[in-house]
Amino acid sequence: MNSIKEKLKKFDVKSLTLYIGAVLILIIFTVICSINGKDFLTTSNIQNIISQSAVIAVIGIGASLVIITGGIDLSVGSVVGFVGIFAGVLVKAGVPLFATLLICLAVGALVGAINGALVSYGKVPAFIVTLGTMQIVRGLTKVLTDGRPIAGFPESLAKITQTEILGIPVVILYVFALYALVMFTLKKTKFGRRIYAIGGNPNAAKLSGIKVQKIETLTYVIAGIFSVIGGIILLSRLSYADPNAGSSYELDAIAATVIGGIAMSGGKGKIGNTLVGALILGMLKCGLQILNVAVYYQTIITGLVIIVAVYLDKAKERKAE
Amino acid sequence: MEKCILEMSGICKSFFGVQILKDVELQVMPGEVHVLLGENGAGKSTLIKVLSGAYRKEEGCIVLDGEELCCDCPKEIIGKGISVIYQEFNLNPYVSIYENILMGKEIANKGIINTAKSIEFAKKYLDLIGLDVDPCTLVSELSVAQKQMVEIAKAISCDVKLLVLDEPTAAITDKETEKLFEIIRNLKKKGIGIIYISHRMSELFEIGDRCTVLRDGEYVTTVDLDKTDVDELTKLMVGRNVSFERVENNYIDDSTKVLEVKNVDYKDILKDVSIELKKGEILGLSGLVGAGRTELAKCIVGAYKKTNGEVYLNGEKLKGKDVKESIDKGIVYLSEDRKDEGLILIHTLTDNIALPNLEKFGNPVLDINKMVEVSKDYISKLKIKTSSHLAEMKNLSGGNQQKVVIAKWLHSDASVYIFDEPTRGIDVGARDEIYNIMLDLVKNGASILMISSDLVEIQKMCNRIVVLKDGRVTANLQNTDDLTQEKILHYALTGGEQGE
Repeated sequence: MNSIKEKLKKFDVKSLTLYIGAVLILIIFTVICSINGKDFLTTSNIQNIISQSAVIAVIGIGASLVIITGGIDLSVGSVVGFVGIFAGVLVKAGVPLFATLLICLAVGALVGAINGALVSYGKVPAFIVTLGTMQIVRGLTKVLTDGRPIAGFPESLAKITQTEILGIPVVILYVFALYALVMFTLKKTKFGRRIYAIGGNPNAAKLSGIKVQKIETLTYVIAGIFSVIGGIILLSRLSYADPNAGSSYELDAIAATVIGGIAMSGGKGKIGNTLVGALILGMLKCGLQILNVAVYYQTIITGLVIIVAVYLDKAKERKAE
Repeated sequence: MEKCILEMSGICKSFFGVQILKDVELQVMPGEVHVLLGENGAGKSTLIKVLSGAYRKEEGCIVLDGEELCCDCPKEIIGKGISVIYQEFNLNPYVSIYENILMGKEIANKGIINTAKSIEFAKKYLDLIGLDVDPCTLVSELSVAQKQMVEIAKAISCDVKLLVLDEPTAAITDKETEKLFEIIRNLKKKGIGIIYISHRMSELFEIGDRCTVLRDGEYVTTVDLDKTDVDELTKLMVGRNVSFERVENNYIDDSTKVLEVKNVDYKDILKDVSIELKKGEILGLSGLVGAGRTELAKCIVGAYKKTNGEVYLNGEKLKGKDVKESIDKGIVYLSEDRKDEGLILIHTLTDNIALPNLEKFGNPVLDINKMVEVSKDYISKLKIKTSSHLAEMKNLSGGNQQKVVIAKWLHSDASVYIFDEPTRGIDVGARDEIYNIMLDLVKNGASILMISSDLVEIQKMCNRIVVLKDGRVTANLQNTDDLTQEKILHYALTGGEQGE
């Protein structure tokens, strides 16, 4: 009896609302598609949705971590764009692909370190710092090639994402593996506990012996690295680097985070739900494309979904007041 | 008899089941400076917050100028003519003086502000209180005393009938105090009633007419200030002449110094503070709010970077760079501010207890089951009342929150514990439980530095008492039977310069 009660208490109502919402959107699209004589729930469509959501899902990890500490990172989209062009320049200069990717990861970490240091040691608001680096990184991307795209990447690049294991596109496995790793880190390691503590109450965290500034900086570094991974996935899929790639991805990543129920005020939320948030966004995009809804309407619907998701998420707090 | 401008009677207020105000009364005459006096935690601020509508009173009645106030909304109360000037000013520093004075009652024609008229209006009131500054000056450019004068100008521009000044001289110089008193005397002449809160005994006699004393949330008495003296007031504040059981502590090892603090300076808050703590000792740190007690504790554990001085723990010098070092070496600080510094309210009880002790729960992978086990253990050991070990801290009562703060540090197994106001806002039953935990700690060889404004608990628990005043150690007293609360309070109030 007691154990049932305890299990009920552990039961996460908030997450449940999110899952029901996701399934509901799925059902709505399936029904509307079938009325219009189209198939929504096909294997290829599902794979398509996941691969297309992959980039947002991966950079969403970084965005979520930063938001859990109580900050925000607007530079992630620009980093995605930068990775493509920078990798292109390096490859054209004869640098081997593997080394190129490692250098890109290092650059992402550097951008994150700059963001993090300015936020935590410099006490500049995260919104301002990353708004600045977002512009700077985007500008650097365009400077590198005078705003021209780069094509002609080695085939080995495409192979990174465009192979299948047991019939499953490997990119899907990447996403799940990365999420499993991060979920484990957040739940079961000191680092994970500490970033929640910092977001929950930085004063209490400091007095509990947590090196708040160090951990905060590290979180931005991780966000930078995940943006690069997202950038590599995108580059591999397209085999073509566009200096405008990744524009507004930071907003999609934040949208996935808040749809997933992570509090913008920090300290709360489940990173696994960011993946669900990213999938919901992906489903909307794919589904509306299949239904031939004009792009303008797609953005309106996406905006509505973000607001409704957070509105439902706050139901409990409204009740408490 | 003259009619009161303010009459408060039978005021009751409690938080989380702890009664803060019990049947308190206060009467202020027009043109009177009425001093509100009491120890820290006596209920002065709570009473003022009830008056200003910031807190809702549970019982009692407030009559202003013959009219009962039934509203609980601060804005309405300001409209009725009550104005409170807190220590932290309610001014917008980024706009000019005249805009601050006219905030909420802008002089406008069809929504367009009439700047010339506004400035003229503000100037009138600045002149009235003798502040010779251009009304267009930004508030951020003013000194503390000038800001205070702007607050007063703002208050009287609303036809104030009753003005409350909360520690108005805490942050201003003697010369500025003189000017403030001049303004107060002018306001008196206009028939405005003034409630004056201050700990500075000397100035009470200079500016005050009558004085109401509160103790432990209860009304003690109202006296005419020209018919009393510092000693009598002190006695009234402390009250209890009753002796109480001092706790026997047989665990002191006089030969072992655990903690040595040598010549610590911190900004201009602490000046050359040195204290020693012996093994098994409970050392009380007494003093008024603002004396630098919490700052000293935070300097010891490295949360604040001391300007000068050294801290030795078991003979080993601490670098004092961060809190982590102190925790690792075995000295921990239990903050007085549970909500802002002690706990993460949106996280669970288990998470809060585990936070400073994550190393103990496995590296690199944390053992969640062990965390749950430990927290359940503390729930039963410290009798924490909670729905489960996964309850969010914000849902627990103050006393139970405090027990969680204690639990999180008990598990860190320190040799020195600094308790900062461990029983603030906690009911009597829980207090005794917390005292017992402290005694268990010294029994097991730990030492305790206890910061408290409650002289009763200081005398009950401590072997020795160090008194701070304005950042300096003014007394180091053995807690013997002949030590009185008046004596401790005397050192805290005057630094021991006069009398004795």
